[in-house]
Amino acid sequence: MSLLADLFAGRLLDPGYAEAAARRAAAGTPARPSRLRGTGVLAVLVLAGILVAAAGAEVRRSEPVAAEQRSRLIGEIRTRTTESDALERRVQDLRADTERLRAAALARSNEGEQARRELAAEAAAVAAAPAAGPGLVVTLDDAPREPGDDARAGARADEGRVYDQDLQVLVNGLWAAGATAIAINGLRLTPTTAVRTAGEAILVDYRPLTSPYTVTALGDPDRLADAFSGSAADRRLGALKDRFGMRYDRRRTGEARLPAAGSPRLRHARPARTAPPPDGPPAQQGRRR
Amino acid sequence: MIALIGLVVGVVLGLLLEPTVPLWLQPYLPIAIVAALDAMFGGVRARLEGVFDEKVFVVSFLSNTIIAALIVFLGDQLGVGSQLSTGVVVVLGIRIFSNAAAIRRKLFGA
Repeated sequence: MSLLADLFAGRLLDPGYAEAAARRAAAGTPARPSRLRGTGVLAVLVLAGILVAAAGAEVRRSEPVAAEQRSRLIGEIRTRTTESDALERRVQDLRADTERLRAAALARSNEGEQARRELAAEAAAVAAAPAAGPGLVVTLDDAPREPGDDARAGARADEGRVYDQDLQVLVNGLWAAGATAIAINGLRLTPTTAVRTAGEAILVDYRPLTSPYTVTALGDPDRLADAFSGSAADRRLGALKDRFGMRYDRRRTGEARLPAAGSPRLRHARPARTAPPPDGPPAQQGRRR
Repeated sequence: MIALIGLVVGVVLGLLLEPTVPLWLQPYLPIAIVAALDAMFGGVRARLEGVFDEKVFVVSFLSNTIIAALIVFLGDQLGVGSQLSTGVVVVLGIRIFSNAAAIRRKLFGA
């Protein structure tokens, strides 16, 4: 009864015809074995033809629809990207205006001047302002792939790649060596920026980077280089370079410009001066991040 | 001969009329066609073996297509639609191939 057993035994898989023939023979009806006649067969075959043609037409019809939807989506992505770029520019303009107005307003009093200086120091610390100056440029890149590499096991092909951990170690080493500001491929790092991997890409501040990875650290180049040479990060990256052929080199630069990171989000604020409640403690100073 | 003419007429009719398949029926059309192919190969084989019977052919064609579509429909309702349609295609494919082999033996003796 089982399909495979029937198949291997070479038996008829559809016993209906044999049974009908046997029935006819038993009843003595004259069999018309090899004549395909009658409207039933014709109707069924016309139906089968229509089915096949309809299915084929359906497939053909859905192809251009899919292509059209794809190109429409691509167009929409482009439009939205342009829009968001324009909005980004507007935000930057408005932010510059705000900065200017704030500076002007704060410049009117001694207290304001003091607040402005504090603000400038904090802005530098959280990378909210562009920075420029001499520094050190470290370049990391995946090991060059040999032509036959793709055929090899994926694990081996992955060995020479730069991982998020390598960048993290490098950045931490540079901070430890006294860098005042760091950017990776032109993306400024803030104290809360995450360097991590998603799939094959390394994300900095949730934006994907492509190799080579250029890490620019501001600070006195000689002091930075002295403090960084021989540090744990330097040793680790040097070992990776020797072992897997990853690119790792350092050079000094006289003048590097780092952009500001995205504006810090205000997460918590209170009015700086409120009338203290009669018996309660004085209102807290506004906290800013 | 009449069978071939019927098939050609059907294809031409389908291409000319371009019947729009309702959306709810679209997933079941391919599987119904595979079942129809199975019935047609069975019919050809029966004819070559000299046991063709019109009633058996018509009934097997209609029941094959409807049952195949129903099985897949049921699978969709149960959430195993793609697995069940794979199963149906495998079973029908085995039958089609064994029928085609029998036809080949009859026609070419090899």
